[in-house]
Amino acid sequence: MKNKNTTIIKCFLIFSVIIFYHLIPVKLYSIEPSEILKNEKQETRAREISKKIRCMVCQNQSIDDSNAPLAKDLRILIRKKIKDGLKDEEIYNFLTDRYGDFILLKPAFKLSTLALWLLPLIFFLIGFIVIIRHNKKSKLL
Amino acid sequence: MIPLFGNFALWLSLFFVVLQIIYSRKEKNNLVLQINRVAVIGLLACSLLTFASLTVSHLNSDFTLVNVYQNSHSTKPLLYKIAGVWGNHEGSMLLWILVLTIFNYFIFRSYNKNNFKFISNTLESQGIIIIGFLIFTIFTSNPFKLMKSIPVDGLGFNPILQDPALAIHPPLLYVGYVGFSAVFSFGIAALKIKDINTFPWHYYMKPFVVAAWTFLTIGIALGSIWAYYELGWGGWWFWDPVENASLMPWLLGTALLHSLIIVEKRNSLKTWVLLLAILTFLLSVIGTFLVRSGILTSVHTFALDPSRGLYILIFTAILGTYSLILFAIQSKKYLDNNYYAFLSKEGAILANNILMVIVCSTVFLGTVYPLLVETFTNNKISVGEPYYNSTVIPIAIPAILIMGIGPLLSWQKEEKIKILKKIFPNIIITIVATIVIFLNYKTYNIVGIIGIVLAFWIITSNTILILKKVKKNSLSMIVSHFGFGLLILGITGSSIWQEEKILNMNINNQVTIKSHNITFKKIEEIKGPNYVAIRASFLVEDKNRNIITKLEPENRFYPITQIITTEASIHTNLLRDLYIVLGDGNLKDGWVIRIYHNPLVIWIWIGAFIIFLGGIISINKNLKKLNIS
Amino acid sequence: MIKKQILLIPFVVFIIILLSFFYLLIIERNPSELPSNLLNKTTPKFETNKIYDDSTFISSKEFGNEIVLVNFFATWCKPCKKEHKYIKLFSEKDKIRVIGINYKDKKNKTIQWLADLGNPYSDVLIDNTGEIGIDWGVYGIPETYVVNEKGIIKYKQIGQITKKSYKKIISIIEKINNEK
Repeated sequence: MKNKNTTIIKCFLIFSVIIFYHLIPVKLYSIEPSEILKNEKQETRAREISKKIRCMVCQNQSIDDSNAPLAKDLRILIRKKIKDGLKDEEIYNFLTDRYGDFILLKPAFKLSTLALWLLPLIFFLIGFIVIIRHNKKSKLL
Repeated sequence: MIPLFGNFALWLSLFFVVLQIIYSRKEKNNLVLQINRVAVIGLLACSLLTFASLTVSHLNSDFTLVNVYQNSHSTKPLLYKIAGVWGNHEGSMLLWILVLTIFNYFIFRSYNKNNFKFISNTLESQGIIIIGFLIFTIFTSNPFKLMKSIPVDGLGFNPILQDPALAIHPPLLYVGYVGFSAVFSFGIAALKIKDINTFPWHYYMKPFVVAAWTFLTIGIALGSIWAYYELGWGGWWFWDPVENASLMPWLLGTALLHSLIIVEKRNSLKTWVLLLAILTFLLSVIGTFLVRSGILTSVHTFALDPSRGLYILIFTAILGTYSLILFAIQSKKYLDNNYYAFLSKEGAILANNILMVIVCSTVFLGTVYPLLVETFTNNKISVGEPYYNSTVIPIAIPAILIMGIGPLLSWQKEEKIKILKKIFPNIIITIVATIVIFLNYKTYNIVGIIGIVLAFWIITSNTILILKKVKKNSLSMIVSHFGFGLLILGITGSSIWQEEKILNMNINNQVTIKSHNITFKKIEEIKGPNYVAIRASFLVEDKNRNIITKLEPENRFYPITQIITTEASIHTNLLRDLYIVLGDGNLKDGWVIRIYHNPLVIWIWIGAFIIFLGGIISINKNLKKLNIS
Repeated sequence: MIKKQILLIPFVVFIIILLSFFYLLIIERNPSELPSNLLNKTTPKFETNKIYDDSTFISSKEFGNEIVLVNFFATWCKPCKKEHKYIKLFSEKDKIRVIGINYKDKKNKTIQWLADLGNPYSDVLIDNTGEIGIDWGVYGIPETYVVNEKGIIKYKQIGQITKKSYKKIISIIEKINNEK
């Protein structure tokens, strides 16, 4: 099979073709084999934490996804801290002490982010109440 | 010559739009109608000519234009020279204006002897939007600016942006994104009319909602397809602010699409629909602001320029203030006292609307919250994928559940036993399908189970509707909902069952992933049209030693732009995507190889396309109606 | 049953958000620049080797005596080369102690680099792994920190020092001197 670049005309035809093969440009690759921890549980923990840490020299990516040198340093650092026995929260605190809240892709739950976390819940409750009210009132008619 | 002509057409548009704004305010008579026609067609012709001029300049590699110099190169392939026209800020503004004037034309085509005042009001609003963008383009973002000295060649174009999906993604997205301007204008006009409860304004608005929504759907889908192939391995949605900016109008547009049905059938919820009509386009404009103002960084942002941002913000402020105050004052007359039972079609649509709006509000909150925090506390925070996963998914789940039941319910109330009878086969088939899938994939995960259950819930309920041939359900709805079920299937499968292997490989090494045997066969240097590359060759066999395919990832270097790209090699079939990425290495130590096995990915794209198809069926129906009238 | 006031809510929310955007536009800010989380906090504690004689540098002994500038640099960093003349100004003209931290670099290359361009640093420290950088919240180089005589970080300069930022740092040092 040869390399083929799909054109947009083909794209619509392709939806009816079952098997196809093409070359896709990918910008990044991140984790290298040498970084991977031998302990599977620890490695999984490291990946989970990395997915929540922002790569600060990239556009909106986690350090798990990025191939920037700083991302790699932080990945190695996190694995070192896991092996040293630190808990997840301690690792997050270590990073935010140095880089601030910006480094967390999952915003911390504090006073300044109260609205961020609670408003969706409040919206949902309001929506729920509206639906219940509608249901009740429709029965009166 | 051509750039001069294009610039002239751009300025001429100003004349026509002023003509339209003035004459759309006048009383009904034949002359006024004719002048409106001249204005509308003149606008459309001018914007077509302007756009064509810029395109021809790009095709001719006319480097006297700053725009062509900055964004093109003589060696660029033809398709990408064309795509380069809208792949930059100034060119994309021309696209904005073109789509505005196309929809403007179709608004004019909606004229009949009964709706003169209403359509005129719509044209006035649309005209004001057009003039806002025209002035912005002419004075701050003119694509026909000339170079002081003519360079030999252009600055080239980012090779990452040379991709077929990316080429077509902006025009289709804009038809949707910008198309909601017409919906906005209809909303403004509806708020202004006097004989409110008898005038069927929703009838004129609806085809435009369907058209804009349909193209916004495929536009967003193509953007994700491109992202999947271009930016990440298995990533196709990153909750990037600019992605969110396109998703929010889609969410409100979906709510609008559904609530218009209630306006049609039950003659209520009009206030709500008018608010949605206004907000959907306002979100489009705010999105434009976020992308082009430099206020935040994203992979998508255009050239960062606060002065342009200021202009867009002021325009947004004027548009939003006028429309929302008009809404606050005038929409009272549309209020009604209808209430819907939960177990009815209207109840389901209402629930869908509420949930769509909650998701939209949450996405909006996540997107602007870092900016608000920075304004009020001088601290910087990030809101990324983990936030949206925690908030949007729990809200989406009940929405999708209702989506499976809603179409089966009848208008007004229904007894619970009747409903259970209707959905019984649905439940059985869903359970069976879920069990089959999980026996195959063997990874159990609560979100995964929910996702697969929901996917099959939707797929089976719509298959049953098609098989029952119930006439009262529209075909386009069934098709779109069916597509949505496939979408959920693809999203769930690729999220929870993705497998990756990262390892060092040398020639003749072999590795196995999910019963695929992959052998590293050779590595060589190759030359492309505008790049040099290292290409690795892998043989993929199944467990019986039958050859499935050959995968050949590359690492490319483009000398003109000095950019290095990594090209993964992918094999797709209905069950999974298999792909390989080549990392760093050498003959002695081997290479870093990354292999990914992504199940069911293609169903995301197939599902999205079928949703689009459903919309096309509806547009087709509307066009037929237009020709009859 | 919907009160008239509820109909105004969309407008109110809209205006708040727009005013916030307006504010962010008119103030001078760089959306990709991150303010330092270490401002007004004590310098991180670290120990490392100096580049010339391999002796140990103990941070707790070296900070807290006088105003110090800490400059993260590397030979592979082009902007570091461009800003070097300002580092020399700080050291030679303004008589401020500048500590250089050599970030993820090769010792021999750095010694040669400093021999060619001049060495303004009181001490050149080795940070091979980037760990010291992480402790200071460094996310790119060059970065320069202003530490006061009590060992508190008062200012972080992100990126290459230009004429404008040179003046800014001087004024911050003057402010520290006035507050003594």
